[in-house]
Amino acid sequence: MDYRAQIGIRFITRRKGSLIAASLAVAIAILVVQVNSVIFQGLYDAIVRDQINYRFGHVYITRQEDFITKSDFVLINWLERIPYVQAAAPRIETVASINATINGKLIHDYSVPVIGVDPVLDREASTMYQTVGAGGQYVTYRNSVVVGAMVDRDLGGPQVGDSIKLKFKDQFGNDVLRRLTIVGITATAGSVGLDNGVIMNIDTLREILDRPHETQSIIVRLNDPTKDVDVKNLFLAAYPSTADKFKAQTIEESAEQTLSGFRSGIALINLVGYFGMMSSAFAVVTIQMMQVSSKTRDIGVMRAIGAKRKDVLLVFIFQGMVIGLIGAGLGTVMGVAYTAYAKETHMTFQGSLALEVKYNWTSIIQTDILAFVLAVVASIYPAYKATKLEPVEAMRVG
Amino acid sequence: MAEYVLEVQNIDKVYGQGETEVYALRNLSFKVKRGEFMLIVGSSGSGKSTLLNMIGLLDRPTRGKVIIDGVDTSTLNDNQLSAFRNSKLGFIFQFSNLLSDLTVLENVTLPRKIQGSIQNSSDEAKTLLKTVGLENQMHKFANQISGGQAQRVAITRALIAKPAVVLADEPTGNLDSVSAETTVQLLKSLNRKLYQTFIIVTHDRHQFGEVDKVVTIKDGRILKEEMEANLT
Repeated sequence: MDYRAQIGIRFITRRKGSLIAASLAVAIAILVVQVNSVIFQGLYDAIVRDQINYRFGHVYITRQEDFITKSDFVLINWLERIPYVQAAAPRIETVASINATINGKLIHDYSVPVIGVDPVLDREASTMYQTVGAGGQYVTYRNSVVVGAMVDRDLGGPQVGDSIKLKFKDQFGNDVLRRLTIVGITATAGSVGLDNGVIMNIDTLREILDRPHETQSIIVRLNDPTKDVDVKNLFLAAYPSTADKFKAQTIEESAEQTLSGFRSGIALINLVGYFGMMSSAFAVVTIQMMQVSSKTRDIGVMRAIGAKRKDVLLVFIFQGMVIGLIGAGLGTVMGVAYTAYAKETHMTFQGSLALEVKYNWTSIIQTDILAFVLAVVASIYPAYKATKLEPVEAMRVG
Repeated sequence: MAEYVLEVQNIDKVYGQGETEVYALRNLSFKVKRGEFMLIVGSSGSGKSTLLNMIGLLDRPTRGKVIIDGVDTSTLNDNQLSAFRNSKLGFIFQFSNLLSDLTVLENVTLPRKIQGSIQNSSDEAKTLLKTVGLENQMHKFANQISGGQAQRVAITRALIAKPAVVLADEPTGNLDSVSAETTVQLLKSLNRKLYQTFIIVTHDRHQFGEVDKVVTIKDGRILKEEMEANLT
């Protein structure tokens, strides 16, 4: 082993207090970044997951400023011939005024978002049906409705079997009043689903809106989510937007409004994490300065017996590398352990939304490399100070 | 090969400037032959350690030259001085100054490692350590051995790179009388056995008995220079 590396390693490993303090500073900085990643990236990914599962699928097809008039049967058949497509389903979204009555007495009257689904196709293309609570069922029957948990709460807690009256406006602006039977109540973690809306059979909704055979959107679920751009492009090539005015969006595009603000938040949180890392670099500088101070005599002796300034520099750079390596190793172990804990315990955000925890090895390795480089860079100034010591003075001071 | 291994030519060492100027050394000159055992003596503050720092290239004289093994060291830059110290000079300090984080063997081989000539350095170090009776201590850390032993390790460290001159600054100053006597005898036997040049700064000239040369310093000047002196 190079003698400068050997001395650097010995200097720091035989002063366990300094080694532990400096390595912990690096490790904790990595842990902070990792915890931020688990919580906030996990929350972001959870929202994306639920937006895919409940609202948009991996690819979301609409028609610019209008309903899709081409047969949804034809479009879905075409889409399902693409090998990456697992399933596709039509949807219509509108708004209705809701009148809730219990024992003939009006409880509430307000507007709610309504989503019309195909009860068969939707089970393949989304997991929204899974949000229906125990004792309920999906909107298989024409006049059935599933109400969101928050709507149900606002309406005073009607049960499965109760009826609610919904007032729609058809495409010509005429009021259409329809009494529907509650067949289920949805509850989703973090209210990312349709807890504040209602779900009903798409055919019933088409009839109410006087839009037979029309569809507002088609959600497409992929078996390989990385192919979303390919599927989007294939669809737009087959149905050029100039002719059909179709609009196809990946989840990043369709959920942009929801996610853009969140992304800025994550960037800010990450910035805080990286500032923490800078603080750890200052801790390393301080500890390395103490090391130089305590090893002044040894530096003087080394210089006296022939070590050059660059040799002294390398001793403390190697010391920084030891701190960086141990700190990064420790930080990785702590960070991965926390990630494993979050994953195994299905950690939730504010006790509700299950975080989408992933082992992001690229990010972990990048953070480790950054922490290691910072520990080495933080050692440069103390090492430089050490090279400035004159042997006679150093041996006298030491 | 030059007759004189060391030539000190008219060196001054001045600290401060103008009115605060203080001469630590003034117009000092002497020569040392290869294989000589020489003492630099003088009272505290006479300038003998400053002189040793000049000879050891740890400090530069304000004026004058130090020529070692035929090389005018005033022409060398910092890196060249380091390399020159490593290959031509051996140092023995009052407090041994071993690196406490290295073992005895690692301390001894350090000058060779700095030189980059690590081949056989471990074997040579072991042989030297055996010569000074420390073959059983070589794997101990430097802070795990006694002061006398540490000084003997420092002597072997000074010799490992086969320097032209070994410089010792009060090598017995921090030792008990028994260890001091052992150290003196060791230095003198190494001088005879290896034909190694030693220049020793001491305040106790009588401790060394018969030596080749004694330079007495007072107030930064040479007071007298004695040849083949028996100081007992």
